[in-house]
Amino acid sequence: MQNDVFHIKENHIQAAEMVFDKIFERTRKKKYIISIAGEVSSGKTTLAYLLGRMMKMNDVKSKILDLVDFYKVPPLERRTYREQHGLDTIGVNEYDWDMIEATLKSFRNGNSVKLPLVDLHTDEVDTINTNFKNVQVLIISGLYASYCSDVDYKIFMELTYRETYEAQKYTGKEVMDSFRKKILEKEHKAVQKQKNDADIYIDFNTFLDSYHL
Amino acid sequence: MLEDILLITDKHRKAATVIVDEILKNKTVKYIVAISGESGSGKSELTHVVAKEMRKHGIFAKPIHIDNFYNTLPLERTQWRVDNGIEKVVGLSEYKWDEINKVIDDFKNSRKSSMPCVDLVTEQIDTLTTDFNGIDMLIIDGLYAINTDNVDLRIFIELTYHETKKAQKDRGKEPQNEYRMRVLEQEHIAALSIKNKAHLFVDMDYKVVKA
Repeated sequence: MQNDVFHIKENHIQAAEMVFDKIFERTRKKKYIISIAGEVSSGKTTLAYLLGRMMKMNDVKSKILDLVDFYKVPPLERRTYREQHGLDTIGVNEYDWDMIEATLKSFRNGNSVKLPLVDLHTDEVDTINTNFKNVQVLIISGLYASYCSDVDYKIFMELTYRETYEAQKYTGKEVMDSFRKKILEKEHKAVQKQKNDADIYIDFNTFLDSYHL
Repeated sequence: MLEDILLITDKHRKAATVIVDEILKNKTVKYIVAISGESGSGKSELTHVVAKEMRKHGIFAKPIHIDNFYNTLPLERTQWRVDNGIEKVVGLSEYKWDEINKVIDDFKNSRKSSMPCVDLVTEQIDTLTTDFNGIDMLIIDGLYAINTDNVDLRIFIELTYHETKKAQKDRGKEPQNEYRMRVLEQEHIAALSIKNKAHLFVDMDYKVVKA
């Protein structure tokens, strides 16, 4: 995603350090995929960014991907599409999983790829050509990032959708109304299904207690 | 530029309001704005807020960051500058102006355009492809952005690296050392040499004033 803005807080840094300490040695041994799934505005992008920076400072190259770039329907058409097709369309199937899986495979093989990249200023879907040859770690964040196959380490970030509502008002990414609220509830249910599958569970409400599931 | 850090504050929002008013007064089809200023002066922050404000007026603005167009790779730049002499090579000629001008031409003609795009986490240069069809405005952001031809509104932020040392440190972008200081001084001299091209200045107190 281009032109996204996020706010780094102390608890994000602590979470990133905790995850980094657990996995850093493993990332040096093989091409490593980390998924960061969780609720809207729970800090997934921020954690991804901080992890990437920490890896960089320790000479491990990581590429950060956001599943938001892999929606089948582009941003400017999504709301109308959702309204026309109803709430049943909301969820995991809104993403282009074939392309996501192909991207993971390219990463494992160290190939070049062409990826979609949304610009939040223009809401256009640009494309980016990148080379995975020298990239050792792939960090994928997104509502349903745990659904990716072949992930080495799965992070789940907790937040109830009521808090999400407040957080979204703050980042001001989307217009909040009753339809958007219904979407969030639907997404919340689908997101929570990934919880049992996580290697680590981060809940800022209980402030950095981590649970191994 | 991928994975860059921005520190947006009220001073950027206030300056952006004045700049947006100025743009709305003068805006023509396929309008180009350039924002220059030294390292840490808030170019990218200002660019971000202006682009976001334009969208509220129904105008789609695409930011283009000049630092994507360096002649040298991020990881090799320091060595290259040291080898060739900082005082000799740091300046306007470090950028691929041909490629910048090509992007501007693509924008003016609503074409698809490919350009370099630095990822600050991988420190690799990716290639970004975008479609300028439907994009109303371009905001070029970079140390020497106002040096670009065919720009409609040129903005220069007057804060120098002496004042912005703190901002640099907060962004944790580059180490503060003797080499860095010599680069900053050289960039300062080069920026001053194009300052007279500006239509608007953002002064030391972040107030917007006309040239």
